[in-house]
Amino acid sequence: MKMYLPPPGSKPARRSVLKRGLIGGALLALGGGGFLFTRKSVEVDPPGDGLLSFTAREFAIVTALSYRVIPHREGFPTVDAVQVARGCDRILTLVDETALTETKQLLMLLENALPNFLFGRRARTFSTMSSDDQDAVLTEWQTSRITLRRTGYTALRGLVMAAYFSSPATWPAIGYPGPLPGIHDPNAPVWKGGGVERPIGNGTFREPAPAVDGGTP
Amino acid sequence: MTGRIITGDELTKDVTVECDVCVIGSGSGGAWTAHELVKQGKSVVMLEEGGYHTRREFDMNEPRAFQNLYQELGNRAADDLSITILQGRSVGGGTTVNWCSSFRTPERILKIWKERHGIETLSTAALTPHWEVIEQRLHIAQWPQEMMNANNKVLWEGLGALGYERGLIRRNVNNCLNLGYCGLGCPVDAKQSMSVTVLPDAVEKGLTLYANTSARVLDWDGRKVTAVRAEVLDGTTRKPTGVKVVVKPKVTVVSGGAINSPGLLMRSQLLSEGRVGEKTWFHPVLMMMAEFEHEVNAFHGAPQSVYSHHFIERGPGKMGYFLEVPPVQPMLASTVLTGAGAETIELMTKLKHLNVMLAIHVDGLLPEEEGATVRLREGAHSRYSIKYAFTPAHWESFRASCKEMAKLQFAAGAKQVRSLHVSPVTLNSVADLGKLDDAKWEAMQLRVATAHQMGGCRMGKDPSTSVVDPHLKYHSLDNLFVVDGSVLPTSLGVNPQETIFGIARWAATHIGQAV
Repeated sequence: MKMYLPPPGSKPARRSVLKRGLIGGALLALGGGGFLFTRKSVEVDPPGDGLLSFTAREFAIVTALSYRVIPHREGFPTVDAVQVARGCDRILTLVDETALTETKQLLMLLENALPNFLFGRRARTFSTMSSDDQDAVLTEWQTSRITLRRTGYTALRGLVMAAYFSSPATWPAIGYPGPLPGIHDPNAPVWKGGGVERPIGNGTFREPAPAVDGGTP
Repeated sequence: MTGRIITGDELTKDVTVECDVCVIGSGSGGAWTAHELVKQGKSVVMLEEGGYHTRREFDMNEPRAFQNLYQELGNRAADDLSITILQGRSVGGGTTVNWCSSFRTPERILKIWKERHGIETLSTAALTPHWEVIEQRLHIAQWPQEMMNANNKVLWEGLGALGYERGLIRRNVNNCLNLGYCGLGCPVDAKQSMSVTVLPDAVEKGLTLYANTSARVLDWDGRKVTAVRAEVLDGTTRKPTGVKVVVKPKVTVVSGGAINSPGLLMRSQLLSEGRVGEKTWFHPVLMMMAEFEHEVNAFHGAPQSVYSHHFIERGPGKMGYFLEVPPVQPMLASTVLTGAGAETIELMTKLKHLNVMLAIHVDGLLPEEEGATVRLREGAHSRYSIKYAFTPAHWESFRASCKEMAKLQFAAGAKQVRSLHVSPVTLNSVADLGKLDDAKWEAMQLRVATAHQMGGCRMGKDPSTSVVDPHLKYHSLDNLFVVDGSVLPTSLGVNPQETIFGIARWAATHIGQAV
């Protein structure tokens, strides 16, 4: 629900940054269409508790992306074990609608076989490519001269990385001990005023007694 | 008289309230302003779009903290993602998540404001009495050198080895356990954030604080703001619940910070001929990462306790910078590191041995700079269009600071140093510094971040070049003030919280007189 829109005469961003600029606009148009877009994505089972942000196709693309952004390494939990794609789906329930829309546009652009064919002569969707081709596409995005692709790479990579390394299951592999145990108090009092006495703590303060005769308090 | 903190879940039907002053935003500016006004006996209502999160929730868990305590879950950024913007969003604002570094405003900056912007009201003499009270209340004191963590020690020892100026940072903490999780909300309330100090003090004196309540528009007529219209947000989804809060104050104080305050004014058609949202300064941060043989464990220990202002003034036409270090916890580190997938995973296995150094650039002092421009974003509720204009001076300074950071890291014993370029530059000794000259120094080719947002509603004497006057009153309205980092006409060259505390406490006197 949006209660207030920008007032007339204000200067909003005219269009989403992803749609700005000739090349960016043309690329995003490719994200949602073109003959080669009709090519299928890989099929991935959605999480048992359903999807909240992604379509099944978007979920499959994120899953494929996560395998390449976080290639499996001995000693690390797999992206499936950490449920990275599900984590991305859940994170996106909390973002501004415009950010969700842009993420979906980027995923479809990554997946679409037409730009992948135009830029790299690979006439397959991203999710159905070989791992080597997927790595090559991601490198092209990462180092592209087109800002949209570099921006898109940064956004999608960050989403997947955050979903993976936010899991304590990854901590042993990187030697991160986590926070010291026994510090956090899940039952700490929550004071909201309203006539209730404020508990004494590190935040409470009593002003020092005023000095008497310019010296002794 | 006692006040209350009211959270969104308690607000099930529309509310209209009258008061002397409505303060919008509960961070470093809003909290001190409200505190002083209730002390004066004024009836004050505060609106805060973020939630009321306390140590009961502060379990040092990164995803939970970023979700609850940061703007856009920590994903706020320039439109092209060329700058990542870390900015607080909860009761207490940035003070709930900052790293406690406390500096008074440099004399040099106050002098520039006076000479270039006609600001004669703010001087060291005017602010010092306020800083003294604030420092006592917030236990601001130098962090003991013996408590310094290994990450800060890299900077300290590097500075010492190269003979550069160095200092120990003063922090606003009380009974600090040296845990290192200041950025995720202090689990023991040792950090003297606004949410555990000045705000509850103000509530005890009568402040009514509505959390999860987003001010959307100011109604104004002639030269007066007549009402603040807000909507209640769901504490979890951040979406509007449909419940509205309308405040009818005699005086309104906007303290939403350097991006949200301009946003509220723009939604309210208060544009100052386009100046609102312009000249926003970010203290752009460059980072260099070093690997050490020994464990650094940069995820633990007081995050910032060492600084250097050795390069704060680099001569005419050049941008200065200052040096500090950040905490390095896994989720944030993984998103900041650059390079291909396997490369990042390899780096993450070395997390315990990594030091990261920050060069924080002092923008807004060179005449050609425009900084960031903030505009409303069509269809968005909490996002803005943000564009930052990098200049050749930025790139010169970025390159120079990355070289100096690498020198410091090697001087402290680093095995290898790495830039945060899209295609990272790896250095094995100071002899490799020249490799940085071959890197791409342009937007989106390397990580740039900001944790200090300033400007956008800049103060000044001349109404044709500023948004608020030297007493922080909006030029063309009689009962609207802006009190937060957005009023700063330039960046500071130091971490900004104590400057904003001081200005807010100073401003409360004449705001009270306007009621």
